[in-house]
Amino acid sequence: MMISTATQRMTMLRRIESERTGAIARVGALVIAMTALSVLGPHAALAVTESEASARAVVEQTVDEVLAILSNDSVPTSERLRSIEEVVYGRFDLQAMSRMVLARNWKSFSKEQQTEYVAEFKKYLSNNYGSRIERYDQQKVDFLGARDEPRGDVVVRTKIIGGEFEGSQVDYRLRKQSEKWLVIDVVIEGISMVSNFRDQFKQVVSDGGPELLLRKLREKNAAKVALE
Amino acid sequence: MIGWGASRQCTGWMLATLTAATLVVGGCASSPGGVNDPWEGMNRGVFRFNEGADRYVIEPAAKGWDFVMPDPLERAIDRFFDNVGFPVKFVNDLLQAKPVAAAQDLSRFVINTTLGVAGFFDPATEFGIEGHDEDFGQTLGYWGVPPGPYLVLPIIGPSSPRDTVGLVADSAGQVYPYFVAWWVSSAITATDLLNRRSLALDEIAAERESALDLYAAVRNAWVSYRENQVRDREEQESDRDDDLYSDPEDDDAASD
Repeated sequence: MMISTATQRMTMLRRIESERTGAIARVGALVIAMTALSVLGPHAALAVTESEASARAVVEQTVDEVLAILSNDSVPTSERLRSIEEVVYGRFDLQAMSRMVLARNWKSFSKEQQTEYVAEFKKYLSNNYGSRIERYDQQKVDFLGARDEPRGDVVVRTKIIGGEFEGSQVDYRLRKQSEKWLVIDVVIEGISMVSNFRDQFKQVVSDGGPELLLRKLREKNAAKVALE
Repeated sequence: MIGWGASRQCTGWMLATLTAATLVVGGCASSPGGVNDPWEGMNRGVFRFNEGADRYVIEPAAKGWDFVMPDPLERAIDRFFDNVGFPVKFVNDLLQAKPVAAAQDLSRFVINTTLGVAGFFDPATEFGIEGHDEDFGQTLGYWGVPPGPYLVLPIIGPSSPRDTVGLVADSAGQVYPYFVAWWVSSAITATDLLNRRSLALDEIAAERESALDLYAAVRNAWVSYRENQVRDREEQESDRDDDLYSDPEDDDAASD
C-alpha cells in the first residue's frame, strides 16, 4: 500500500513534470514558428524600371553624402550644415517645390513677388531643417524600393534605421528636369512637406494676399538670423 | 488627461453616441480638393485651449520630467508602454485580418517581455521582427469607415469622429486597468503621456517657432499621418497626389 502510493505519487509527479516541459516546449515552438513566419513573411521579387533605378541612385548618393558629412565630428556644426546645404541644393528642385506649395496662388503673385517668395522660402527651409539636422546623426537608411508615379515622377521609399527616429518611413519624390532627377517632395510618415506648407500658406494668402505671406516669411527668417 | 484614464465607466454610452455621430457626420461634409474641416471655428478654439494647457501645464511638467530623467531611460519607458499596449494592437491586427502582423506583434511581446526585461528593451527589433501600431480607428478605416471631419478634442488633441470612437474602444480593450485601481491606471496613463510629451519637447518647440499657421500645419500632419497608417504605408498612391504635384508653371496644369 505504502509502496504503491509512493509509486503513484512518483508517476504523477513525473507526469506533471513532463507535461510542464511539454507545455514550455510547445510555447517555445510556437514562438519560434511565429518568429520565423514574421521574419520570412514579407519578401517579394521586384521588377525595377530604368527611371526607378536612376532616381533611386540619386537619393542613395545624396543620403550617403549627407550622412558622411553628419558623422564627420571633426568639422564644426555650422560648416557641416553649409556642406549639407550645398549637397541638398544640388539635388532638390526648390523652385518647383516653391511653386507647388503655392499651387494656384502662384499665378496671383507678380513676377517680383514670385522671385522674392522663392528666395525667402528657400531661406526659411534651410533655417528650419538645418537646425534640426543634427538629430539625424548616428542613423542608417534602408532602401525599401521605388515606384513610378503620374507625370513621370518616381517615389523612392526609405526607412530610417537606428537613432532617435528608428523605423520612420521617409519617401522622396523625384522629377526629371532636363535629364537630371531632382527631389520635389519629402514625405515623412505620410506627411508631405509640399502639402503641409501648402495648407499653411493657403491660409495666410487667403487672409492677407501675397504681401502677408512674404511679410511672414521675412519675419521668420529675420528672427532666425537675430538668434544666431 | 487624468479624467481620460478614469473614463472607462462611461465607455458604453460614449461609444454608442459617437458611433451615431460618425454615421451622421461621416457621410456628408467633404470639401473637394481641400481639407475636410467644417468645424474649423470650434476646432481652432479648442486648439487654442490645448496650446494654452500645454504651454502652462503639460509642457512645464514634461520639462521637469525631462530634466530628472535621462534620455535613454525615457526611451526605455516609452518602449515599456509600447509593449504594455500589446493586447490592443494584437486585437486590431486580428480585426483587420492580418495574421502575419498578429504573429509578429505576439512574438515581439513574448520576446520583449522576457529577453527585453518587461519591455524596457526591444530585442525583437534587433531580430528583425517588425511591429505594427494598429488601433481601432485604423481598423474602422481598414474596413472602409471614413474618418469624417477633422476634430480637435480637448487635451487629447487632433482626431476625427472615427478615431474618437477608436480611442474609446481601445481604452476599453487595454487590459491592465481591469487589474488595478482607477487611480493607479490614471497615474500610469499620466506617466505615459508625460513621458511621451517629454520625448517630443524639441520637435514641438521647433514646429511652434517655425510654422506660419500652426493650426493648419498640425491638421495637415495629423490627417496625412492617419491616412498613411490606415494604408499601412503600402505602395498605394494617396488620393490627393493628383492635384498636389501639378506645377503651376506647366502648361498642362493651366486648367485652373
